[in-house]
Amino acid sequence: MTENWAFVAIFALLSLSIPLIALGMSWALRPKRPGAIKQSTYECGLETVGETWVQFKVQYYLFALIFVLFDVETIFLYPWAVAYGKLGLFALGEMFVFLGILAVGLIYAWRKGALEWV
Amino acid sequence: MLDLSPDWGVILTHFAPELILVIGALGLLSYDLYVRGKDGLQPWITLGVLLAAALATGWLYTMDPAEVFEGRSAGEVFRSGAFLSDSFTHFFRLMSVLTAGLVTLSGIAYMRGKTAFKGEFYAFVLFAALAMNLMAGANDLIVIALGIEFLSLVSYILTGYIREDRLSIEGGLKYFLYGSITSAAMLFGLTYLYGIAGSTSLPVIAEAVRQPENLVVTHLSTFIVPAALFLVLAGIGFKVAIAPFHQWSPDAYQGAPTPVTAFLSVGPKAAGFAVMMRLFITVFGTPELSATWLGVLGALAGLTMILGNVAALTQSDVKRMMAYSSIAQAGYMLVGIAAFGGTALMGTTPLGAVLFFILAYLFTNLGAFAVIIAVDRLTGSSSVSAFAGLSKRSPFLAIALTIFFLSLIGIPPLSGFFGKFAVFGAAVASDMFGLAVVGVLTGVVSAVYYFQIVKTMYFGDPAEGGALRPSPGVVFVVATALVMTLIIGLVPQPFIEIANQAVTALEPIAGSMVAR
Repeated sequence: MTENWAFVAIFALLSLSIPLIALGMSWALRPKRPGAIKQSTYECGLETVGETWVQFKVQYYLFALIFVLFDVETIFLYPWAVAYGKLGLFALGEMFVFLGILAVGLIYAWRKGALEWV
Repeated sequence: MLDLSPDWGVILTHFAPELILVIGALGLLSYDLYVRGKDGLQPWITLGVLLAAALATGWLYTMDPAEVFEGRSAGEVFRSGAFLSDSFTHFFRLMSVLTAGLVTLSGIAYMRGKTAFKGEFYAFVLFAALAMNLMAGANDLIVIALGIEFLSLVSYILTGYIREDRLSIEGGLKYFLYGSITSAAMLFGLTYLYGIAGSTSLPVIAEAVRQPENLVVTHLSTFIVPAALFLVLAGIGFKVAIAPFHQWSPDAYQGAPTPVTAFLSVGPKAAGFAVMMRLFITVFGTPELSATWLGVLGALAGLTMILGNVAALTQSDVKRMMAYSSIAQAGYMLVGIAAFGGTALMGTTPLGAVLFFILAYLFTNLGAFAVIIAVDRLTGSSSVSAFAGLSKRSPFLAIALTIFFLSLIGIPPLSGFFGKFAVFGAAVASDMFGLAVVGVLTGVVSAVYYFQIVKTMYFGDPAEGGALRPSPGVVFVVATALVMTLIIGLVPQPFIEIANQAVTALEPIAGSMVAR
């Protein structure tokens, strides 16, 4: 029992020390010549504008919600596809019910104008 | 192993009320999208769907399970399933349909012009009824968790439904934050139950905890089971608003649109108690196992009755007062569950007493809320002062609310009296004198705050004198609730039988697993 825990302790120490050593060595060995450009925030190669605390358009949020809907659908479709051979007609019917309910949700969002960027 | 060749006819038959509600709710959403101009039909479609679900439930009620399953009883066929369609479920199916129907009827005039999202409102009412059905029949931890979560999400949305009203938003947000935390606690508890039994199915868990040597985790089970049950109790206790998980309810009740408040005071409570009974009685209902949670449940019942009734004394808003009043009523129901091992009294089993109590409470409370909905709509306020002089402005509403309050206090010829009598009788029969005494004493305290309103209605001076004309929907609901409150009070026997029959479906599952 305790021997097993010793392995965990050794691995914990090792995994802690490896990044520390790597970072520490590069810090000790690298040349240090800071400049204005080097210290600026890196963001896609463009210069940053304004502060980080800005208000986002609320529609991002709506899009994210709809995205999550279909993301979950995809996740649910994968195991279904894998197990389809064993489940047969039952699963086919089940999945169409699931997709049907999702479709109602999509049509709802569509008709309510959630997909239009204003 | 998963049985993939079931009899589809049988399964779909027994899902009929739920299927009707799903199709109805989705259909209502679609109707709202494509049919413009015919405004005002949505509540009637809702009522039609609810009526169809009620008829389907009644049809299932009359069906003899043994015949349907060719000699095998419904219990045998569905015992291993995730959803049970037995007389216990049927009872709560009727409760959910009744709640949704009465709330819809009394809310039509109130919701008119209050929101731009009218069709969705009624669709959510149908979804709420569906979620309650799922909770009532849940026979699997996953269905329990999903059912509670489903009903919670619908309740949060309904509570914060009026976006222009800050109180509504605040109530919805508090409800949501509180609910998320208790949901997390409950899920944590459910994982422990799964962990010790290796299955999410209630009958399998029941089997496992009755034979501790077969548990997946044996050496910790004496500690884990009570801890897990307490965590689960936090989640269910939040839904039914028992102390100390009640803090959300006054704010949510006050902020929510009044018809939603009416729904919250009955719907989630009934469904929550259904889950609590199914889980605690069928799985952990043996004398040895129930010793781990009966004490906690009894203590919470006492705390809930005291806190609800005392805190209601100082409220100046009637919706807030009703929030504390319904917390106290949940305490009374909890007494019946805590006394479930007791002997039968006056023809009711203790659990039958709880169901009878819920039935009586449903009509009385929804009737009282119909009056509050009307006063809130016509005066624009739900503070106690809005009820001043109601006896002159609308004698019908005033006398009706007085009778509902008398029933909630538990005055003899009314339904509330027999509910309380059955529940406290069960407590006495199982030697829980303390709980019965606390219940009766706090019942006396409750008379004070109910009569404060009655006094204001009859002797207060109204701010303005005009007569109040309640909408036809409200009049219908108040009249129905009045009739039912009187009938259940005067002729309780048939309703006691319905409640007892519903509970028999609950108990054999516990009884047949292991000889008591």
